Amino acid sequence: MSIDYAGFRRELESFVRGACPPEIRAVVAAGQKITKREYQAWQQILNAQGWGAPSWPREAGGTGWDIRQRLIFEEVMAENDCPPLYHHGLGHIGPVIIRFGTPEQKARFLPRILDGSDWWCQGYSEPGSGSDLASLSTSARLDGDAWVVNGQKIWTSHAHEASMIYMLVRTSKEAKKQEGISLLLVPMDTPGITVRPIQTIDGWHHLNEVFFDEVRVRADNLVGEVGKGWTCAKFLLERERLPPANVARLELMRRQVTQLVEEASRAAAGLRDFSGLHHKLLLCEADVKGARVMMAQATDDLIHQRPLGVQPSVIKMTCADVAQRLTTIALDAVGPDAAHRFLAEAGDDVPDATWIQNYMFTRARTIAGGTSEVQRNVVANELLGA
Amino acid sequence: MSTSFPSLFPGMLLDAASRYAEDHIVVAIQGDPVRELGWTATLVPEEAGGVGGSLSDLASIVEGLATHGLQLPVVETCAVVPLLLQAAGAETAHRWLEAVAEGSVQMAPLTALSATPDVNAVTARHLDIGYELSGTVQGVDATLPATHYLVPAQVDGEDAIFLVDAERIGAPKARYRTMEGRVGADFVLAQLAVPESACIARGAAARDARAKATDAALLLTAADTVAALATLIRQTVTHLKERRQFGVALSSFQVLRHRVADMYVKYLGAKGLVIHCFNDYEQDAPDLRRTLRLAKVSLAESARACAEAAIQMHGGMGVSEEVLATRTAQRLIASEFRYGDRLLHVAYLLALAPQASAPHVSFSNQTGSVR
Ligand SMILES: Cc1cc2nc3c(=O)[nH]c(=O)nc-3n(C[C@H](O)[C@H](O)[C@H](O)COP(=O)(O)OP(=O)(O)OC[C@H]3O[C@@H](n4cnc5c(N)ncnc54)[C@H](O)[C@@H]3O)c2cc1C
Repeated sequence: MSIDYAGFRRELESFVRGACPPEIRAVVAAGQKITKREYQAWQQILNAQGWGAPSWPREAGGTGWDIRQRLIFEEVMAENDCPPLYHHGLGHIGPVIIRFGTPEQKARFLPRILDGSDWWCQGYSEPGSGSDLASLSTSARLDGDAWVVNGQKIWTSHAHEASMIYMLVRTSKEAKKQEGISLLLVPMDTPGITVRPIQTIDGWHHLNEVFFDEVRVRADNLVGEVGKGWTCAKFLLERERLPPANVARLELMRRQVTQLVEEASRAAAGLRDFSGLHHKLLLCEADVKGARVMMAQATDDLIHQRPLGVQPSVIKMTCADVAQRLTTIALDAVGPDAAHRFLAEAGDDVPDATWIQNYMFTRARTIAGGTSEVQRNVVANELLGA
Repeated sequence: MSTSFPSLFPGMLLDAASRYAEDHIVVAIQGDPVRELGWTATLVPEEAGGVGGSLSDLASIVEGLATHGLQLPVVETCAVVPLLLQAAGAETAHRWLEAVAEGSVQMAPLTALSATPDVNAVTARHLDIGYELSGTVQGVDATLPATHYLVPAQVDGEDAIFLVDAERIGAPKARYRTMEGRVGADFVLAQLAVPESACIARGAAARDARAKATDAALLLTAADTVAALATLIRQTVTHLKERRQFGVALSSFQVLRHRVADMYVKYLGAKGLVIHCFNDYEQDAPDLRRTLRLAKVSLAESARACAEAAIQMHGGMGVSEEVLATRTAQRLIASEFRYGDRLLHVAYLLALAPQASAPHVSFSNQTGSVR
């Protein structure tokens, strides 16, 4: 039976318009940072509707939607200023547990992702291991019925709010550097874990260092085979690079920035020259249209189980680039009023500085999840050989 | 590597500022170093108890601070203030300049960091017993304490400058941390009554002084940008040499080598432009303001490109404020918006008929420094 995609879109639209609380939509519409509060509330609403995990298979508690439906879902969400789904649980570790986890792990962890009771963070990067992730050195040794973890993770987004961390640990030093790595699921309240905030250029708190000192973790919290964590990590990274939400969110951002430029241009009353910004906005509009088609093609390949090749890298780079250009346009539009009024003392509301924060925050789009230089290496290797 | 980044404004002032900045970068600013170190005397004429120095002297201080990433409102307190004060009648100017030079008053301009001192944010009304000031001034530098404010204003269609006690101005309506880590504040003047004597200059004298303060602010900000660019590139080079990934130093990746080379090319271009600006200033070139606007637009472009490149090449460290390169990148981006952003200066440049100006390159010495 063929799916009535138009009818599906209408059903989603009528639901999200009624169900997404106005205060949450206001945060998204203003381009402000979405915090655990908004993500979690929206996740619970979606889950009650049975739409908690649009991309998961039905047997794991997902919707069983095809990928086109998933894309429509993302577009409707963005068009109606709803928060995106929180990626670490639903987009990253959830699919890994579904693919590599034991039945017991699935039963223990998946429902808590669906109903928003667990909030996950990703412990991959270390001070000495960034782009070269395989050189990581945080260790785990088996001691009776527990893994004992020692080491340090860095740049851990949301670790201060998370209840769980999925992390790569070295369980053997003997093998090649990609081998001997395992994927471990660790409750954040385990004794021996210390979280230290990292002050970032955007003025928001999202990054942390996480220290592990003789942290004991149940032996059955290891996912997949011991020493084969790299397979899970790669599976996860591919998904990380192809977040279908990106293009729909980018179009939302483009509309927000266009409106911002129009307002700032009116307020400046001819005193500042906005023609360059309008020109740049047009180029972004064209690039978003191009990215949307790239995304649709990748989606088609996923549906038909054709290899994705370099598409995740290309789409990630393109979306990161457009996002940076859009927030740069916003920076130019609001800069003079907002740069010197960046972070207000408690109680003062300065809405314009949000766009400067967004500009700063977006600098990380070409760093986190694999830098653009590393993505270019992937593409170049495809074209020119390694 | 230091040979790749010779100082723009070398000398004892640079060394002192540089040393001070290096020693104080990690501690919160205590007291009022700008006055304690006597920098407010730099531009004050000798007969008023000052040093009678030049804008290049002040640029040395600006360069020294920028080199080690310290943020102090030197441009505002040491250039804008004395230049505005000089609009007053000889006796008034002398008295206040003396107080500024010896640090017995703490004077700051009540101007938005984003606007030039020749812009009117405040309107004054002349009453029988003095004036009434009204207006909102957003994003004023409030890093250091102030006992007095100089308020540029418009009165009956004329430019004017008022000198008002900080107490009378009152507390700011809101306080902020600026992008580059200074303290900013919004002030609202609602029919604020000031005595007749508060108006220290009106008409042509006020207009000229405000224009001079604007030129100085634009020049010194450009010097700050070039000094910060040098620091940024130096830090990035060090990082690329020290950080290892895939078993090699980052500096062995050609894409990063080229990127840092592009930064350096931009830096040298920016430096040349700033030297050109100082030469034009010293020679009182007729199209100085146009050149300064051009520099503002061009430096904004280069500074942002370099800031973004440095952040990227530092990876995660590039978004952490604990890293000097990151703070320098912030400073460069914020400096774009000081004293008018590029959209404003482009608007002026496009609206003005382009003036043909004979190109002149007159480097003062072989090192490429201004002196
Ligand atoms: C906002 C943000 C959120 C993050 N969230 C998380 C998280 O939740 N969990 C987590 O584990 N990690 C997280 N990260 C870390 C992120 O994955 C790393 O920052 C990233 O992998 C880059 O590593 P690095 O920072 O060590 O940079 P480095 O690897 O040191 O790279 C520095 C520079 O060198 C370049 N470079 C490196 N290798 C090569 C090469 N072979 N060829 C050419 N150029 C190269 C890079 O492109 C970059 O420009 C986050 C980072 C940021 C900025």
